[in-house]
Amino acid sequence: MSRAPARNGAAPRRPGDEDDICPVCKSSRYLNPSMRFLVNPECYHKMCESCVDRIFSHGPAPCPVAGCARTLRKARFRRQTFEDLHIEREVDIRRRVAGVFNKREEEFESLRDWNNYLEEVENLTWNLLQGVDVKETEKKLDAYKRQNEQEIKQNAAIESQENANTEAQFAAQREQARLRREAARNEELDERREKEEGRREMVDMMARGDGDADTIARETQKVVLKKSTARRTAAERSRQQAAAKVDNGAAAPLFSIQGLKRVVQPAPEKEYDPFGGYVIKHEYYYLRDHYEHSWLDNARSDAQITAGGYDVREYCARAMMEAFGGLGVFVEDEIREREEMADKGVGTASAAAAGGGGGEGVDGDVL
Amino acid sequence: MKFNIEDLPVLFPYPRIYPEQYAYMCDLKRTLDAGGHCVLEMPSGTGKTVSLLSLIVAYQQYYPEHRKLIYCSRTMSEIEKALAELKALMKYRADQLGEEEEFRGLGLTSRKNLCLHPSVKKEKSGAIVDARCRSLTAGFVKEKKERGEDVDVCVYHDNLDLLEPHNLVPNGVFTFDGILKYGEKHKQCPYFTARRMMPFCNVIIYSYHYLLDPKIAERVSKELSKDCIVVFDEAHNIDNVCIESLSIDLTEDSLRKATRGANNLERKITEMRSSDAEKLQNEYAKLVEGLRDADEAREEDAFMANPALPDDLLQEAVPGNIRRAEHFVAFLKRFVEYLKTRMKVLHVISETPPSFLQHLKDLTFIEKKPLRFCAERLTSLVRTLELTNIEDYQPLQEVATFATLAATYDKGFLLILEPYESDTATVPNPILHFTCLDAAIAIKPVFDRFSSVIITSGTISPLEMYPKMLGFTTVVQESYSMTLARRSFLPMIVTRGSDQSAISSGFQIRNEPGVVRNYGTLLLEFSKLTPDGVVVFFPSYLYMESIISMWQGMGTLDEIWKYKLILVETPDSQETSLALETYRTACCNGRGAILLCVARGKVSEGIDFDHHYGRTVLCIGVPFQYTESRILKARLEFLRETYRIRENDFLSFDAMRHAAQCLGRVLRGKDDYGIMVLADRRFQKKRTQLPKWINQALLDSDTSLSTDMATASAKKFLRTMAQPFSERDQAGVSTWDLRDLERHKEKMEEEKIRELRNGGGKMEGDGVDGRFNVQNGVDGDDFEDEDMDALMRDADAE
Repeated sequence: MSRAPARNGAAPRRPGDEDDICPVCKSSRYLNPSMRFLVNPECYHKMCESCVDRIFSHGPAPCPVAGCARTLRKARFRRQTFEDLHIEREVDIRRRVAGVFNKREEEFESLRDWNNYLEEVENLTWNLLQGVDVKETEKKLDAYKRQNEQEIKQNAAIESQENANTEAQFAAQREQARLRREAARNEELDERREKEEGRREMVDMMARGDGDADTIARETQKVVLKKSTARRTAAERSRQQAAAKVDNGAAAPLFSIQGLKRVVQPAPEKEYDPFGGYVIKHEYYYLRDHYEHSWLDNARSDAQITAGGYDVREYCARAMMEAFGGLGVFVEDEIREREEMADKGVGTASAAAAGGGGGEGVDGDVL
Repeated sequence: MKFNIEDLPVLFPYPRIYPEQYAYMCDLKRTLDAGGHCVLEMPSGTGKTVSLLSLIVAYQQYYPEHRKLIYCSRTMSEIEKALAELKALMKYRADQLGEEEEFRGLGLTSRKNLCLHPSVKKEKSGAIVDARCRSLTAGFVKEKKERGEDVDVCVYHDNLDLLEPHNLVPNGVFTFDGILKYGEKHKQCPYFTARRMMPFCNVIIYSYHYLLDPKIAERVSKELSKDCIVVFDEAHNIDNVCIESLSIDLTEDSLRKATRGANNLERKITEMRSSDAEKLQNEYAKLVEGLRDADEAREEDAFMANPALPDDLLQEAVPGNIRRAEHFVAFLKRFVEYLKTRMKVLHVISETPPSFLQHLKDLTFIEKKPLRFCAERLTSLVRTLELTNIEDYQPLQEVATFATLAATYDKGFLLILEPYESDTATVPNPILHFTCLDAAIAIKPVFDRFSSVIITSGTISPLEMYPKMLGFTTVVQESYSMTLARRSFLPMIVTRGSDQSAISSGFQIRNEPGVVRNYGTLLLEFSKLTPDGVVVFFPSYLYMESIISMWQGMGTLDEIWKYKLILVETPDSQETSLALETYRTACCNGRGAILLCVARGKVSEGIDFDHHYGRTVLCIGVPFQYTESRILKARLEFLRETYRIRENDFLSFDAMRHAAQCLGRVLRGKDDYGIMVLADRRFQKKRTQLPKWINQALLDSDTSLSTDMATASAKKFLRTMAQPFSERDQAGVSTWDLRDLERHKEKMEEEKIRELRNGGGKMEGDGVDGRFNVQNGVDGDDFEDEDMDALMRDADAE
């Protein structure tokens, strides 16, 4: 825990630390009660603060632990949070992975997909932890990060917003609880005071001697009772009001509605396509931008011609189409087909005969 | 005797009935007819159990639904007593009806009490018996046996499989003794017999925990149908039982053990991976499918069970990141490590589960959802790994339960970390209390599931407190007074010592020599005048010790020593039972003794001081709880905010129920007598919080006495008690035979008719009148001679 040591400084020792010895300088806590240990997330070797000062003050240096040649920097040394250094390392890795894979459950279509995703991520983390295919995994991680930069950023923003909200909520709750506690205390005090007053009044009345002692006692009792019930109902009411107010107050600054579906941005409208997806493509030729023809050059540059909107390219396109216009049509095939259709059935034969004249006309056109 | 309550014929196994028993039965029937819950308070020693059983059995047998009865009591001896009572009742019914009814009644208790296996039953500790039994009887052991491997099995258990599964024992009621004998004779395991026969029983009698503790209830009480009648007897402490069943305390030691457990699990998983990977794969596949194998979960040898979980959670699939066994163990390790880190804090922390979860997530990236599935997942893993030495994993299981509870409930729980044992301690010994504040959480499933829940006890005042705290509504809520032919107990409130100064165990004056001396004189006076046994209750062990040492200095003890033997209760149960034994011997041989005990100790709850074992009970000081405890403070605050119960109201209620429990110890029947002394100034104002039957017997003149006045009236009382008292004097007043009962019924009917006449006109009244006559005639004819028998018996006894 990071809160405690800041408060307690050096004086009270943590349990279990007593017989610690710095693995680098071999000085023990017995000699140096204020010794603190630091680790570097590069290699997680533990050493005492003075060692860190001694070795790394003049810039990066290799780790003094035998067999570990990693270069460490002083700035990255920090106190360990967990007793078990494996867990410390695990948490660091998890922090990194969680920073990248931060998809949210709402983004998945089914619970099962979400669970599969979770397992995938866990596998990845596991590989990093156990040192299995680290390179491969790192590559995957990087690739994912690069691909989904935008999304990651968005989710991170949402998450931090949520965290802030819950923080605020906790604070509001604490405040509310404090208020309620105070109110209860006040109420009790009031009640006691009132009782005291009632008693004093009764004694006064008796001392004045107006009326029988019993009736006075009864009367005052009644008054006290009435007062206390009235006060209680009033307190109840005010409490309810306060609660309602606090509810509203808490809701206003951190207005967050739970259970909303994510708004899906409608896809941008497509451009208008007059052919409904039909693409006109030249099958047997392609159009060049420029054709070398001396007799066309004039038409290209002459203002008298171009001013009217005449474009040589249009002429070229038309000419090319006309040149290749009949290439895809095989008359024999079409005639054969037509005859086959006629042979097929009596029902269609008459129809074919009826349409015969028209058909010939069409053929004639093509020819 | 046999009589009718409305249309229901009831067979009552005694020739006479107390008026309050009759009233109790009527209200019980009303509750059952209406199908709701009720709270009933009936004085101790007036035959609560037998009236309850005879009415409910009559109800079961008469109406076609045959609603099952689940009777929960607190201790083993109480359960055994109830079983014996039931057995006698069924015998009486068989005699009266001339035939054995199709009826089964069984009790259930731990394996330790019911084991017959020659070597296992020799074990001392219940946990070891459980573990060894499991290692002999678990499902996979049997599988291994079938595969031809050489494993030990329990012959008593395996014999059960040869019998018809729904007919392991013949009809009838078996006490624990009875079923042990039967098991020995037929070589079958009594424990599993009882457990497997539970769905086929008409009456089940067991401890609260089988129903309330969610970890056990899941396993044992799952198959009980909705229309069961559930009875909680001796239920004055039920809220504390509920809270305890959901509270968890973690220490550094238990966390260390949990880590060890996790490491063991890890090793086992690697072993299994190399030898029998298929099993793990199967489990994994099942988890992926999100199928919770219902049969498997309910299997009786399921090792670990889960805390109260909402049903929707049970339907859901286990989250992906703890699906694989390795991942889950790493997850657990991380969580335990986090808890260890938190334990290092050197100041008190109290926080709600949501804030705990937030911090957990910030530090270790453990999300709420997998945490919720922790207990469930661990159970599944343990089952897959076929572990037998479960007790090694107990701490880990505790951590998992804690995780699940913390992630499931936002409200009603609180985490309190106390780094030091006491305020003055300097060596940290941290304890993480995960405490349940809301008694309603544990008992809610019971109220939801069963339509009739009956909560009853000798001292359960004020009645309205219980429905409020436990979150239910009642159909009937009744407290009965005790009908007595003579004033057989004398409650008194002593507010002043013999020197007329006020006495109190209040914090400011509790150690003043004057107060201590006054208490000493009070005790001395009563030890002089009381015959046989005196029981004294103190608010706490601490106070008891200090006051005894002061008495020693003053010479009070030497003085008392002349009249009575002095014995003291200690927190150690064996010492206490020795003291109790000596106490009883001293009471029996006429030496007389004083037992000094604590109002919240073992003696105050379970042990009866009937007749000469207790003639006077002295309650020194109001037994308030230790109010500085952080857990209590948190609970008080919760009660105030959630149920609008004020701190002082609750504390006073709690103190008074314990005081009443102490007072009730001496009076265990109508022929018993005793003096009850409440010695504190503050009792005067709390008089209304006593149970109705005590309060009624407390005369106004006895509410503020000084020691000498109390002595005088106690002497007078004892003189009256010394007069001969024949049973005949009681007849018709505090005990009824059938004729008295008929007369009472007639009177009630007449009153009803009169009311109807006055209110509703003549016609209705006539109708009621007619029906009543017919019914009355039938009853009279049938049982004339039995009534005669009873009279004859009485005459003989004289």
